[in-house]
Amino acid sequence: MIEAIAFYCMAAVALTGAVMVVTLRNTVHSALALGLSLAGVAGLFACLGADFLFAGQLLIYVGGIAILIIFAVMLLGRASNLHLRQINQQWAAALLVCAITGAGLWRLVGIFRHTSSSAPATATTRSIGLLMLGDYALPFELISLVLLAALLGAVFFSRKDIS
Amino acid sequence: MNLSLGHYLVLGAALFLIGLFGALTRRNVIGILMSIELMFNAANINLAAFNHYLHPGGVTGMTAALFVITVAAAEVVVGLALVLTIYRNSATAYVEDFHLLKG
Repeated sequence: MIEAIAFYCMAAVALTGAVMVVTLRNTVHSALALGLSLAGVAGLFACLGADFLFAGQLLIYVGGIAILIIFAVMLLGRASNLHLRQINQQWAAALLVCAITGAGLWRLVGIFRHTSSSAPATATTRSIGLLMLGDYALPFELISLVLLAALLGAVFFSRKDIS
Repeated sequence: MNLSLGHYLVLGAALFLIGLFGALTRRNVIGILMSIELMFNAANINLAAFNHYLHPGGVTGMTAALFVITVAAAEVVVGLALVLTIYRNSATAYVEDFHLLKG
């Protein structure tokens, strides 16, 4: 019972934040709502018993990516932007695309509708560490290369032109 | 009442559709980036839920979600650097004004 209450509260936080991200006119408010939605998703990970993923979501998404996006909004925002429409003309077509995709996803969800689990959640950090340095050692090293490339790319694109 | 896998999948699908709608309709390029982050999160919820319900005791799905988080972080860093460069050159953040390559 307590699990259901926690799930519905966290789902409400995540979905409300997501709708605010998409609909709010002020981009700063959108970025703050993104932080809220990401925190709600972190709560859902906790409901699923994924403790390491919960901590990672809070540290990387809420503490890193949301803050980075807020900084970027403040760097390139102008006061006149607050009065402009933020949604383009094609919203009806976008709604149609979303409806078709949603119908397809609904059919897929129906396959798993009654799958339930009674297994208690266990601590996962040790198993994830062993997996990352065992079977997944090569992807683990590759992802560090990806991060290094992203770091260099960000520095390269945002430097001042020397000419 | 017990929660089933369907609850989490419906939530993930709803989050994904909201993100898809935002990515298709937002005019501001940072709004599009934020919507894409929402879609990544929907995929992560699905990965963690499948891990919990179909493979209890395993961690493979959570590890895949961690890789997704890492790639999303790299993507948003490079994306924001590009947006800042474009803003510095053309002084706009709205995607319909990005027509440098238009014939």
